[in-house]
Amino acid sequence: MSRNKRVVAAAAVAFLAIGASACGGKKDNSSGSGDNGGGGAKGGAVIVGTTDSVSSLDPAGAYDYGSWEIVDSVYQKVMHFETGAVTPTPDAAKSCTFTDPKTYTCELQPGLTFSNGDPLTAASVKFTFDRMLKIAAPNGPSSLLANLDNTTTSGTGTVVFHIKNPDSTFPSVLATDAGAIVDEKVFPADKLLDGSGIIGSGPYTLDKYTAKQQASLKANPKYKGTAKLNNSQVVLQYFSEPSALKQAVKDGTVTAAFRSLSPTDIQDLKKTSGIQVLDGTGTQKRYMVFDAKVKPSDQKAVRQAVAQVIDRAGIAKEAYDDTVAPLYSMVGNGIEGHTEAFKDKYGAPDTAKAKALLTAAGITTPVQLAYAWTPSHYGAESADEATTIKRQLEATGLFKVTLSSTEWQQYQKDEKSDTYASYMIGWFPDLPDPDNDVAPFLTKEPFLGTGYVNPQILSLLSKEQGTTDKTVRDQAFAEIQKIVAEDVPIIPLWQGKQTVVVRDGVTGADKALDPTMFRFYELGTK
Amino acid sequence: MSNTSKQSGSLRRYILTRIALAVPMVLILLILVFVMMRVAPGDPISASQGGKLNAAELAARRKAAGFDAPLYQQFWDYLKSVVTLNFGTTFSDRRSVRDIIIENGGATLTLTAGALVFATVIGIPVGLLAGRYRDRPVDVVARLASTVSYAAPVFVTAPLLMLAFGSTSGQASPLIQLNVPTQTHILILDAALDGDWDAVGDIAQHLLLPSIALGLLIVGVFIRMIRINLIQSLQGDYIEAARARGVRERHVVARHGFRNALVPVVTVLGLQVAMLLGGAVLTEKIFNWPGIGRQLIDYINQRDYVAVQGIVTVFALVVVVISLLIDFVNALIDPRVRY
Repeated sequence: MSRNKRVVAAAAVAFLAIGASACGGKKDNSSGSGDNGGGGAKGGAVIVGTTDSVSSLDPAGAYDYGSWEIVDSVYQKVMHFETGAVTPTPDAAKSCTFTDPKTYTCELQPGLTFSNGDPLTAASVKFTFDRMLKIAAPNGPSSLLANLDNTTTSGTGTVVFHIKNPDSTFPSVLATDAGAIVDEKVFPADKLLDGSGIIGSGPYTLDKYTAKQQASLKANPKYKGTAKLNNSQVVLQYFSEPSALKQAVKDGTVTAAFRSLSPTDIQDLKKTSGIQVLDGTGTQKRYMVFDAKVKPSDQKAVRQAVAQVIDRAGIAKEAYDDTVAPLYSMVGNGIEGHTEAFKDKYGAPDTAKAKALLTAAGITTPVQLAYAWTPSHYGAESADEATTIKRQLEATGLFKVTLSSTEWQQYQKDEKSDTYASYMIGWFPDLPDPDNDVAPFLTKEPFLGTGYVNPQILSLLSKEQGTTDKTVRDQAFAEIQKIVAEDVPIIPLWQGKQTVVVRDGVTGADKALDPTMFRFYELGTK
Repeated sequence: MSNTSKQSGSLRRYILTRIALAVPMVLILLILVFVMMRVAPGDPISASQGGKLNAAELAARRKAAGFDAPLYQQFWDYLKSVVTLNFGTTFSDRRSVRDIIIENGGATLTLTAGALVFATVIGIPVGLLAGRYRDRPVDVVARLASTVSYAAPVFVTAPLLMLAFGSTSGQASPLIQLNVPTQTHILILDAALDGDWDAVGDIAQHLLLPSIALGLLIVGVFIRMIRINLIQSLQGDYIEAARARGVRERHVVARHGFRNALVPVVTVLGLQVAMLLGGAVLTEKIFNWPGIGRQLIDYINQRDYVAVQGIVTVFALVVVVISLLIDFVNALIDPRVRY
């Protein structure tokens, strides 16, 4: 062999070595045959593009929106939220009722089966909840079931949930994807299921799944729930960048785009022919949080003065192109018990009133206030939001605001350890119950650092959690919202709108935009 | 070439020495990867659940996940996973790292190969022209272009290409190759084996811009190397002899000058793989190309120790193996190398 030929041969060996590492022998681990799945352009399937990602296909390990989109489609729950509803109704169950304040009993629908033909019985439901608590996956939703003591069955059709403390939100908890019922013959009892061979009894089956690329959902012929499917297949196409998602919907290679496009992209798409942009009520919220252990936020008058001058509509316009709506209360817009507590107390932004508040408290102006935000968790627009807040406060002459930004990993440590006087926090509630908008912030051990504990609020929380009486609960929430507006540990700023972008010919997008979960089955094609 | 190997006079000993030297190199690298992931703030639990759970719940979940285990224990587990080529299961989405490498490695390989093809197709002719017409306008332009290409990082060229041509080249569209039965995990090859020429075309279309963006990273090296080697070759005695024999100038350049100018390029080509793998990470992210690099960025953002350690280790091992192969090839073909 000549020298040059040996060189070429050696180079070829080098590349084959890389190839060997990449080509290893394992076949695709997707569950379906793939003969007519995927791709989605054939057969009138709806192709939905998203920048969400999936952390787990097993409900016991899934606690993020991207995973719940799949879980909600593939699995059924004892209770669920029908499209447009914020109160749970039975789904796999025929009926459910509190037989006493700490016992919730459900009768299952007869004849339910999983997509593989296995019967769905009370034993399946017990297995599901026992498993969820036993595995308690670090990234899973078991914390939502913290109040569940144990589950028992009576015959094949009755499930009894025994809870530790009276909890009016428990039916709603069952309707979250933490309550997705799994097949005890398929899922291991003490660990998460590996791979994508998931089996549920929901409206779809997972026909094919390629992590971070594509999920193909096909209508489940054995589904016996209340959802009416308007398509036979949904292909979820995952994008890593919103800009690529925007381009794909413009090109028509996806027929719908949901979560998450930037406000600029949405404005651009609104001007594009052949495309419709629809808004719906979202659940995402943003707050300005004060840490009452850090100066000057330890003074109520400072917090009240900020609340007096903050212009929510200005933030929505300047930072978000009105893709979010002003929020005047801890309890979200559209949620039962919502009031306009901050608007009622402070009215329109008013510098004179804010100055009077500070003067009455003997505080000299301008107040030096530090405001922290993170560039790596709440989207690119959070920078605009932070600067808008700074500009608004400084325009009054009453505040001198120092902005600081920290990467998310460090940021969340700092905000929990009383480092910031004030800071930005976002919230996605797990369930459409006012308790979920309030309790996580105002309990003795909130998920964030506020340095604020109010015994009266704790008492009201206990009261609303212990009853299903709507009047009593509404009164408790109204009182809590009033106290928060008075003490201002947190200023609610805005609530996100959900936006879906669809190509002409796609139907049902308005219904699909449900605040609790995007409803794929509502999408259809003309 | 070390004195020891020079003295040994044995190719076998030389190879064994090079392999032995690679072991501490890999070990140092593993330690670096491990330490860097631990020094950076955060962990997979706080990355995903930090905005929902209070400090006590987060601590309990960290404990349950074993993140509070002593560092030596975590490092030992990591070493075991490397030795067994298992690499563990990612924390954030419970995928086997080995599966990630297998399923996405083909895409990275395809992109790297595409970049090499681009660099070769552009770099060699331009380098030859520059060398052949030294100090003429074509040489000046080629040298300038190669300097710009070498100096411009992927994070500049890739977005520029995407902005300029992304909407017309179909880059944003999803790949349709997912309907193709997986056989080799090399996208374009699977599509071709399946006879799905629409998919082949689609993949090729998606491959074009990222290959150019990544290829630009090394095309400058190619141009300059070919140019200088051709210039040197054309000054050789054997070239003069060929000319004296009356061989036509075109044949002198093509048969004698070019062949000899190409030898060092083949060696350098292997060394560029490290640069290409580094560049592929950003290129894949920007162009939505489903390779390992894109996965790596996602896992870094999620502070997924297992995934990042596994992927970076595989990247490093590939580079080490290629470096070794280049050393062996050099020892075989270069008479100046003694062992």
